[in-house]
Amino acid sequence: MPVCSGGVDRRSFLSVGTIGGLGLSLGDYFRMQSARSDPAAGHPGKHATAQSVISIFLPGGVAQQETFDPKPLAPVEYRGPLGSIETALPGVRFGEALPHTAKIADKLAICRSMTHGEAAHERGTHNMFTGYKPSPAIEYPSFGAVISHDFGPRDNLPAYVCIPTVPNEFAGSGYLSSAYSGFSLGADPVDGKFKVRDLTLPEGIDPARFDKRRRMLDVVNSHFREREKSDSLDALDTFYQRAYGLISSQKAQEAFDLKQEPDALKKEYGRNQAGMRMLLARRLVESGVRFVTLTYGGWDHHDKIEKGIKSQTPAFDQAFATLIRDLDRRGLLGSTLVCVTTEFGRTPKINPTAGRDHWPKVFSIVMAGGGIKSGIVHGSSNATAAEPEDDPLTVEDWATTVYDRLGIDARKKLVAPGPRPIEIVDGGKVVEQLIT
Amino acid sequence: MTRAPSRLTSAVLAAWALVAVAADAATLRVFPPAVHLSTARDRQSLVAQLIETDGLTRDATGAMTVTVDDAAKVRLDGRALVPLADGDTAVTVSVGDQKVSVTVHVERAGQSPDLSFRLDVMPVFMRHGCNAGSCHGSARGKDGFRLSLFGFDPEADYHRLTREQPGRRVNLALPAESLLLTKATNAVPHTGGARLKAGDDAYATLERWLAAGATNDPGPTPAVVAVELHPRGAVLDGPGATQQFTVLATYADGTDRGVTSLAVFLSSNDAAAKVDPSGLVTAGMRGEAFVMARFATHTVGAAVISLPKGLAYDWSPPADAGRIDRLVDAKLQTLRIVPSESCTDEEFLRRASLDICGVLPTSDEYRSFLASPDPKKRAHLVDQLLARPEFVDLWVMKWSELLMIRTVPNQVSYKAMLLYYGWLQDRIQANTPIDALVRELVAATGGTFSAPATNYFQHERNTLKTAENVAQVFMGMRIQCAQCHNHPFDRWTMDDYYGFANFFAQIGRKQGEDPRETVVFNSGGGDVKHPVGGRVVPPTFLGGESPDLAGRDRREVLAAWLASPANPHFGRNLVNIVWAHFFGRGIVDPVDDVRVSNPPVNEPLLDSLARGFVESGYDFKKLVREICTSRAYQRSTRPNATNAEDERNFSRAQLRRIRAEVLLDVMTDATGTQNKFKGLPLVARAVQIADGTTSTYFLTTFGRATRATACSCEVKMEPNLSQALHLLNGDTVQQKIRQGGVVQRLLEAGRTPEQVIEELYLRTLTRKPTEKETAGLMEIVGTDPAARTPAALRETLEDGFGAILNSREFVFNH
Repeated sequence: MPVCSGGVDRRSFLSVGTIGGLGLSLGDYFRMQSARSDPAAGHPGKHATAQSVISIFLPGGVAQQETFDPKPLAPVEYRGPLGSIETALPGVRFGEALPHTAKIADKLAICRSMTHGEAAHERGTHNMFTGYKPSPAIEYPSFGAVISHDFGPRDNLPAYVCIPTVPNEFAGSGYLSSAYSGFSLGADPVDGKFKVRDLTLPEGIDPARFDKRRRMLDVVNSHFREREKSDSLDALDTFYQRAYGLISSQKAQEAFDLKQEPDALKKEYGRNQAGMRMLLARRLVESGVRFVTLTYGGWDHHDKIEKGIKSQTPAFDQAFATLIRDLDRRGLLGSTLVCVTTEFGRTPKINPTAGRDHWPKVFSIVMAGGGIKSGIVHGSSNATAAEPEDDPLTVEDWATTVYDRLGIDARKKLVAPGPRPIEIVDGGKVVEQLIT
Repeated sequence: MTRAPSRLTSAVLAAWALVAVAADAATLRVFPPAVHLSTARDRQSLVAQLIETDGLTRDATGAMTVTVDDAAKVRLDGRALVPLADGDTAVTVSVGDQKVSVTVHVERAGQSPDLSFRLDVMPVFMRHGCNAGSCHGSARGKDGFRLSLFGFDPEADYHRLTREQPGRRVNLALPAESLLLTKATNAVPHTGGARLKAGDDAYATLERWLAAGATNDPGPTPAVVAVELHPRGAVLDGPGATQQFTVLATYADGTDRGVTSLAVFLSSNDAAAKVDPSGLVTAGMRGEAFVMARFATHTVGAAVISLPKGLAYDWSPPADAGRIDRLVDAKLQTLRIVPSESCTDEEFLRRASLDICGVLPTSDEYRSFLASPDPKKRAHLVDQLLARPEFVDLWVMKWSELLMIRTVPNQVSYKAMLLYYGWLQDRIQANTPIDALVRELVAATGGTFSAPATNYFQHERNTLKTAENVAQVFMGMRIQCAQCHNHPFDRWTMDDYYGFANFFAQIGRKQGEDPRETVVFNSGGGDVKHPVGGRVVPPTFLGGESPDLAGRDRREVLAAWLASPANPHFGRNLVNIVWAHFFGRGIVDPVDDVRVSNPPVNEPLLDSLARGFVESGYDFKKLVREICTSRAYQRSTRPNATNAEDERNFSRAQLRRIRAEVLLDVMTDATGTQNKFKGLPLVARAVQIADGTTSTYFLTTFGRATRATACSCEVKMEPNLSQALHLLNGDTVQQKIRQGGVVQRLLEAGRTPEQVIEELYLRTLTRKPTEKETAGLMEIVGTDPAARTPAALRETLEDGFGAILNSREFVFNH
């Protein structure tokens, strides 16, 4: 099928090598891929500015008017019930529910012209997690899976972690092997007894006994290993190797241990879902995790948007502002790209139930750190936040920019079964105005 | 027009069916089999294919000599036939000493009608990608110019080309200066680059249409009713071997037309066979590809097999094979694959027990099965397993997933869910024919307590979603795309979609006496409206007729058709689901994604199984028996040199991870323990959990279906880190081993450590440990009895038990 963006001839063909061309079996291919993902081999490309990403996703579709793109001069039915406040950036206003974030606006790149055409939750979510429109034929890998595929685990830690669990079906590994899927904690860091499930040795089992168990497992496995060969077997092997790495590394264990964080800092983040999830995200990227995705709240405010925003936003606001400050204090902001995204925006006009409905034509996302310019507003929406006015930001361009910051060329092709080479992002451009 | 519109068979015919006609000498085939030329503009190219005695095909298009019988009627231009005068004649195509005669009919040879916007110009936009979704076909167009997606709205496209910005896109005074041409050739910078070259056929078509005034069609044009792709398949000998294909479209007025130069060609597997825009297929690495041609709303395909050059092959299928094996082996022969040998009795016992009943054989069952000298013991084992209650449990679970049995707040109460589950269980237990079950379900009316099948319309109340679920579960088709646009790679149009959805438009619901109960009834009024123009599409069976519904419940009429032989997809879908359960992949895979561009890997097999199933009165047990007693099912997982790369033609058994519920059940059995699930007694198995929303950490982590959607992808088999951590460190394995006390009891009964290890192997892996394994484990256990305490011995053997439950061999069915 012809594609619009000029076709293969005009672009450098950066295939990782189709399986067929190399005469490899899928099994060999998989092993080759896992070899590539060896901790030693995993390093971002030369011009990478970001070493890791924290992706904060607000499910349901947050209203741009009540957060990062208020329209104080619009008629009240567009403006909505909430006011706006000044920020650290002269002339830039945020919704009144974001006082803490307003103070660190000079660290952010606020994109007010994000656009895609998908007004259904699952389709919007798909766009924002994979960089692609949903296809009935192909399951695309999520950002985390692609990054996991390219970089592999570091310091025994999984490359891609989901807090608290895999947020939705599009956050998976798509057509890539499930070896690249996200590791889900299975517990919420806000829980007082928070402990990542099954990470530590059970009570009464010392390392010597654990090692004995491992040797016994090797004995039992070797017979089958000699006789059988299959991709699913290899994938399972990979996970057992990783599990052993994780269980036996003190440093890896500590990455998940929130108890090591001082109480004052916990208070600063807020001892709530948003705060504790973001604090753990920071601990994880600090320890070597490449991509952390976390979700917070429910923002599908079809009814009573004022009440919804007022109940959801404060915890987010405090936690997010603290996260940026905390990363900055530790000198991590330069190498950590933080994104706040959502499914889509909400309708320009307040609806009869005092809410706003789905609106994918224009909405706002926020980026910070990791080689993204700070203190800028990129693009704009029109007077009623109904259409992009300047510099519309497409999902493809945004995704390409995120990958670029990590040193990943998004035009590179990954191999889907078939074998079928597919670009990481189809036809996006790096947005020069956004990058340092 | 003279050609009687024949009922065109789909060109989706597997290439390897060609083998059946391979005779003593090579056979020459010429396409199309008959040529009809109407008007002076019509052209028809011929394509020839030689089918060798060994089943390979060779492209004879370049080597053929064509002689025209009556040179006054047609002439040859290259390999295209050009009309000269009305009448009938024939051409003779010869290759070597093979000759084939093709009849040629010419009419209206003196006329050269103007180009038609719909018939000539619109196909250019499709062929060259102009109206694709990523280009001008996008809902908002591209760079200011929009075309309808894949050309579903020609009238609007005509308007936008000629009237939206007068004088800009078409220039009638200087046609070659029209932006339509200058953009397409990139003479004026075009984001999409050069799509056409000045002077090529497509360019000439647009230029001629512009020169003639860029006129719209005066009235309706005949629709394309069928498209054929010739030849129907190819088996190519070595990389670089080619086969020319040709595409023929038939219109509603009975005329036909060669549209090779207007069709879009695609290959499902470029590595195995590439196709270029002229329809020339070139073989690549060994493998299968489905080459497709799309024209108008039709997509048709042909199977192309690429083999290594001069591949030696010497295997004949066993003569006494049953139906399944005959058809599976025929495909393997064409692919030149030798299937793996038969699995061992041990492997068969474990595989069949897990697949048919979701259980592991006990060590006693193991001993008696292996000791039995009966040559038919495998068939007898299948019969014994089919008679066990666990067989029913397993399939009630599978059906519960298809019917999405689960509680939904404010829609399906716990009581309603239980009654619904009980309704299903009763029917599967009684071996109720599946067609009767589905008819009862789809037409269900009454209270969700008193007529529990009505819950099917409670967990999903959206009319369109209900229609989509029914198509996906009972016909294996995903029609979702057609809700918003004609499906680009399948046959379904928006009319098909809304016509089908309209069967569900008259479901009435009201509160029952018990506040938890809802009464589902036929409201007798209302329609689903087509979003374009708000039309009502009369209820129409998918791919079928619009039945007379006067005074009848629409769902009753649909149910009667859906679960009947009149709906060919019903039987095919069911046998495919059953097949996929036993082989780990369907004949069409995934099982619920049947579409033109995802053809079955073995059409004759699917067709034959479906027919047999329908003729048997949907006898489910009979089908399972036939599958499980076939050689194809009983193959070893170990590959040979010819089938190591094959994962889809059933030439060897595939390793399959055991699904979540069964894995927990067999761990529970092996350790002699029990589980407590919500609302169930302690003896209950995970397979018996009625509610999709009931789960445990173990079940969720290993991918239990939530039953929230009808998709077969709900059951997840992919491994992940959490699974490994849970089996190694979590509370399931070690707690069960300790609680069940199996090792303790064996030691108390006086078994030696070696004997304990053997018993543990038998009850989990259905085999005895090898000497190496026993030695390796005993080295860790310690061979000197004096050096170990009874408690330490037990502990170490229990650790060994844990190692077995963590082993790959345990978690896979093989």
